[in-house]
Amino acid sequence: MAVQGTLPMTDAKRHRLVAFNLRDAGTLFGLVAIAIVFAVLAPDFLTTHNLINILQQSSINACVAIGMTLVIISGGIDLSVGPTAALSAVLTAMLMTSGVPLPISLLAGLGVGLLCGFVNGALISFAGLQPFIVTLGTLSLYRALALIFTGGNPILGLPNGFRHVFNAYIGIVPVPVIIVAVLSVIGWLLLRKAPIGEYILAVGGNEEAARVAGVPIARTKITTYMLSGALAFIAGIILIGRLGAAEPVLGNLWELDAIAASAIGGASLMGGKGSIVGTLLGALVLGAMRNGLTLMDVQAFYQLLATGIIIIAAMLVDRFTRGRA
Amino acid sequence: MSQAPDMPRLALRDISKTYGAFAALSGVSMTVGVGEVHALLGENGAGKSTLLKILSGILPPTKGHIEVDGEALAGHSMANARRSGIAMIHQELQQVPELTVAQNMFLGRPITRGGVLLARDEMRRRAVEALARIDKDIDPDVKISTLRVAQRQIVEIARALLFEARIIAMDEPTSSLMPAEVEKLGQIIHQLAATGVSIIYVSHKLDEVRRFCHRGTVLRDGKLVGTIELADATEEQIVSMMVGRDLTHEIHPTARTEEVALEARGLTWQNRVCDVSFTLHKGEILGFAGLMGAGRTEVLHLLAGLEKPQAGEILVNGRSVRFRSVRDAIRSGIGLLPEERKKEGIVPLRSALANAGITSLDSYSPRGLINGGKLRRDVIAVFRSLQLRPFDPDKPVRLFSGGNQQKVVIARWLVAGVKVLLLDEPTRGVDVGAKGEIYRVIRDLAAAGHAIIVVSSELPEILHISDRVMVMRNGRAVAEFGRDTMSEEAIMQYAARDTRVEEAA
Repeated sequence: MAVQGTLPMTDAKRHRLVAFNLRDAGTLFGLVAIAIVFAVLAPDFLTTHNLINILQQSSINACVAIGMTLVIISGGIDLSVGPTAALSAVLTAMLMTSGVPLPISLLAGLGVGLLCGFVNGALISFAGLQPFIVTLGTLSLYRALALIFTGGNPILGLPNGFRHVFNAYIGIVPVPVIIVAVLSVIGWLLLRKAPIGEYILAVGGNEEAARVAGVPIARTKITTYMLSGALAFIAGIILIGRLGAAEPVLGNLWELDAIAASAIGGASLMGGKGSIVGTLLGALVLGAMRNGLTLMDVQAFYQLLATGIIIIAAMLVDRFTRGRA
Repeated sequence: MSQAPDMPRLALRDISKTYGAFAALSGVSMTVGVGEVHALLGENGAGKSTLLKILSGILPPTKGHIEVDGEALAGHSMANARRSGIAMIHQELQQVPELTVAQNMFLGRPITRGGVLLARDEMRRRAVEALARIDKDIDPDVKISTLRVAQRQIVEIARALLFEARIIAMDEPTSSLMPAEVEKLGQIIHQLAATGVSIIYVSHKLDEVRRFCHRGTVLRDGKLVGTIELADATEEQIVSMMVGRDLTHEIHPTARTEEVALEARGLTWQNRVCDVSFTLHKGEILGFAGLMGAGRTEVLHLLAGLEKPQAGEILVNGRSVRFRSVRDAIRSGIGLLPEERKKEGIVPLRSALANAGITSLDSYSPRGLINGGKLRRDVIAVFRSLQLRPFDPDKPVRLFSGGNQQKVVIARWLVAGVKVLLLDEPTRGVDVGAKGEIYRVIRDLAAAGHAIIVVSSELPEILHISDRVMVMRNGRAVAEFGRDTMSEEAIMQYAARDTRVEEAA
């Protein structure tokens, strides 16, 4: 007779909790360590005002990174998030400034974001092209469209109502932070509680096995790129709402920050592994670091240096602490 | 046959390897004579791989030492092992596909002029010499990627000879060879042994072991069970040494009913499946026998919706179906346990639970989100009936043994409520002991009314498990046997018949 465990559910749940959150706990530990260092070096760092600031400054990257994480877990990469944000945001801005009602302008922009993602996903799934190359191509393509569309000029004079929303606070929390918090919960639910999340993990973990198991591969991949496109659009809207203007060059290098946040948070570029909580913490690590260094009046060059070191350090820690079984 | 030299070519003395409290090997000693072909036997996890790694210098032993021609190896490193004439032919050949045969043979150990320039002509000449000793047909100038596995293996053996290997260890060398190629390898091994090269031969296939090897050393749980003269031992004796108990062969009652679950009519796909028809009854286990490349896997792929037939018809419960995708086949109640478990079967990083639940998610998420508690309960119930070990649904599936990974994939189909199971080589890479358990699972499923097709390249397995056997050759179904008429001889006669004779007839 086999070992017939009458497995207590509580045991299983605890096991699952531990297994799923160990890596996130590591990222949290890193974040706390950085906070302690800056709290000592920069007296203003640990004030409520500044902490809120960090959340605010990290929100756009976190928003893009949620989508990026889903794409990365599925075994892909989305280099076109910045230009997707730019293209969808300038379109929204142009509609708003020419008198189209706000909701319709936003829906149109969202449609463009989704379409950008759909094109990426379709080229990858149906034409069988590599994600890196496809999104490298659309990185140029979408940026070019945004520049052509605007003639290279920023779109100014966004409606005041629109601007107010993104500069407002609820209590002491800025609206963009709340938006991203809600999106994070949705992203977490999709990844952890919805079939699409299991599909994303399976496709990224072993595409061939996923196919034999009946996972809809193309639908899964296209969905992740569309989610990434939609989140890039929202990040773009948050940015232009705060600035009051939409530049066709906005979102430059967003993809790299988003990939960095995902990787620090434990997403594997090989696919099959990653977490939304980790990515949020990763975005906060990057945000806290830049904020702290700025408070200490460290030059931008050195901030870049620190970012590089953090990413590589996180990967080294990851590599050497992972259980080898 | 077996030579009894005074001084063994290779002696392992009291080798142990421990990791903390866990002993992968404890006190294993064995000797291999000059020109002896020595089998290393044991189930997966018995310590064979660890022993090979220690022999080739990849791992240092915790205790014990290795002697070659009576001299203890100075230190444990790959360079030292190589210098003493020990070469290893890995199961996964370590070659660079885009380089030529000759380039691969000198990979990492080039001949140079003045230490800088590659002496290409010299290397090519020596490669040709070494190849000529075993197989004159291999062109030294073609890319490795153009060769078949059997030929690539010969290149590796030639490479070992090039560097004057006196001991060649081969890890599962025939796992992906065709029967004719296995015979050829046997001849090469025989020939090498005749020139005084000693061979350590690791294989699960006992018939090969008995034909190719003089003596065999059996390991179990990291301990030495014994060394035997293979000429004197029966297969049953060897197996019982490996598993530590006797395997009983019993005849099981069939669960076959008269109700037809699945019918194929004239299935045709590319040149690999030609006009294949058969019926499969509920509760029946239908074996597909045949040589590699006979088209058995392809038939399963057509039934599972992985490929679309170019002609022919599939009927499920009497109704004609057309699968545009795997999902269509699943909806019709058909599930495939694929041939290559690691590549096509499991998502290694995910838990056993996630792997088993993946196919059924839609039906467990009526309101968009997965009803995790219910899915968990149902999957666990199936795991329990299959006796998953260890019984830990949250453990990543890659940490389970091969046999239990197979159970996880089977569980996936049972949770999905599949009625027809297509099992492609269900015991490949599974321990001898765990095989019996897989057979039990297959029989239980048939008894519960599932219709099952088993593709296997091991004839004893087919005979043991099947209610009926269909033999395929060159994409065609060429013969069918019931319980009372099936035998190895009868099946092989059809599976391997010379096609030229048939065409002439």
